[in-house]
Amino acid sequence: MTRLVVDEDRCTGLIAMHTPGSTLEAFGAKATVLATGGYGRIYQRSTNAIINRGYGISLAYHAGVPLQDMEFVQFHPTTLLGSNILMTEGARGEGGYLYNRLHERFMASYAHDMMELAPRDIVARSIQTEIDEGRGFDGGYVHLDITHLGEKMINERLGGIRQISIDFAGIDPVKEPIPVQPGQHYSMGGVPCDSNGATPLEGLFAAGECACVSVHGANRLGGNSLLETIVFGKRAGEHAADYVKGTIMPADGAHSDALVREKQAVYDLMGDEGESFAVVRDELRSVMQQEVGVFRHRAGLQRAVLTIRELRGRGRNVRVKSSATSFNFELLNAIELKGMLELGQVIAEGALAREESRGAHYRTDFLERDDEHWLSHTLAFQTPDGPRFEFKDVNISRFQPKRREY
Amino acid sequence: MVTLKIRRQDGERVWHETFPVEETPGMSVLEALFIVQEALDGGLCFRYSCRGAVCGSCAMLINKVPRLACRTQVSDAGNEMVVNAVKWGPLARPVTRVAKGEILIEPLPNMEVIRDLVVDMDHFYELLDSIEPWISAGEDVPEGGNLMSPVVEQKIEVYTGCILCATCHGACPAAARDEMYLGPAALAKAWRFSLDPREPEKDKQARLEAVDNNSGVWGCDVVFKCTAVCPKKVTPTRGILALRRQIPKNRIKNIFNRRK
Repeated sequence: MTRLVVDEDRCTGLIAMHTPGSTLEAFGAKATVLATGGYGRIYQRSTNAIINRGYGISLAYHAGVPLQDMEFVQFHPTTLLGSNILMTEGARGEGGYLYNRLHERFMASYAHDMMELAPRDIVARSIQTEIDEGRGFDGGYVHLDITHLGEKMINERLGGIRQISIDFAGIDPVKEPIPVQPGQHYSMGGVPCDSNGATPLEGLFAAGECACVSVHGANRLGGNSLLETIVFGKRAGEHAADYVKGTIMPADGAHSDALVREKQAVYDLMGDEGESFAVVRDELRSVMQQEVGVFRHRAGLQRAVLTIRELRGRGRNVRVKSSATSFNFELLNAIELKGMLELGQVIAEGALAREESRGAHYRTDFLERDDEHWLSHTLAFQTPDGPRFEFKDVNISRFQPKRREY
Repeated sequence: MVTLKIRRQDGERVWHETFPVEETPGMSVLEALFIVQEALDGGLCFRYSCRGAVCGSCAMLINKVPRLACRTQVSDAGNEMVVNAVKWGPLARPVTRVAKGEILIEPLPNMEVIRDLVVDMDHFYELLDSIEPWISAGEDVPEGGNLMSPVVEQKIEVYTGCILCATCHGACPAAARDEMYLGPAALAKAWRFSLDPREPEKDKQARLEAVDNNSGVWGCDVVFKCTAVCPKKVTPTRGILALRRQIPKNRIKNIFNRRK
């Protein structure tokens, strides 16, 4: 998918590329359901699959849908050094310990009672602090030690963790501690939608990590993304199926126009002289990791915003050298890079605007949650000059927010 | 420094091309392929998604062994003996050595190449679909839920680990000579549903009848190549042998059923 088609304030289908033929085609649709996943890969370290670049979310943004709560990005405390594959919370749940370079169980100084079982964001910040203050190992990691659980229990309960460590880090957790570091894990924000998956744009639905039903607030609990698939995925599908019954097929004029424009856009991307998508992409991922990561503060976020603005300029000069007419991955990458740059900008500017710490969004210059000013959703609207922000009240019914203490 | 020797294909044109890649500790073959694609030749095609041996997209033939590029370390593959299975038959042992530091990368065998390392998976999926790999019972759950004993669950779990990467299909000598052979993945899946207590008896019988032929369980050479290459430790050959043992029982059952 390379573009959503909007005609008179209604989503009437999309333009997509047939990957084996690298040809663009228009699809008219009474209803369109986005199920394109999160945007983890705009960070240097992420547990997400390589294809999770958030492109579907950026297309909704282009189609005029504001993006909601994008600055709330969850970092998992324990991802495998190197590949950043998820080392499940279960490893600590079963009794695993975290050690720094000095062989201290450092969680004692951050969450004395909960220790390794403290919530994700707290453990992630604790590990990052150990690394930042020089108590991590060279290369920026700490040890997740499950050796004391014994081979039998590890095989029974954590067999997957053992296999991944052997295959991807050359470490057998039965004998040695696992090298881990925090990494991006889940995008709480996304395309706003109600509990039926309906977005503010008529005819467009969203489900899964690309959507923001907002049940996860500013910080998702472990295991709760099942809600997105089992509950809201089903509801979005059923609701979209109901919706099309009372809808007529859109006229295809808008699609033809969009297809012509899109073909021109792809043609303009081709060329031998220009920036490489990979260079721009890697710089984006690096600045997101450093300045818009586990810890954030004004000066760093301002640096990120400036860098991303510059990268967006360079992104316009990215050219695709490969003229392959089948599975042209360089072309797909170059197209998706534009979305990544835009989402990076929305996240960084949203994080800069939100002068408080809430859930996964942690500002070292505003350590407290500020319900008086910031108990609100962020909405980012696309404009030619970058995102324009609006804020919307949070719907709170049964549970009032309370101070988190561990 | 390691050299990737990659079999390229664009339509009718086939050629081998070598690319030098600076090796870093812990580098997977998939990462090495990204370096080629991003820095040396943007036209190189290969499938990928998760990079964590979960999605099964990056299956390819590495040093003549079908495996996942993400799960194969450059440091291992660069120091391997290479078996030419096609030349030496299904029981071949290592006979040749590629130059040290060279990794030979080719598309998965027994499948049609679309371009470079990308193969057409449609046929593989069609074979799988043909054994109806799902529980045929409706969605009505009996009172108290569908309880399963841990023993049965563990037997099934061996087979549910399959990620449909098709490395088994690429390793299979029966698939090489018979295009209609159901293949290790589909047959392992057939056994998985034969084990499942939720599956109605008549559907189990129908599935057994569907695999009771020379393009089904009787086509297998029982050389365990699929089992050897499976990245998720699935044991298709054992499943095929179990189906073979089940079939005579099923035939007898059918005779009695017909008499009723």
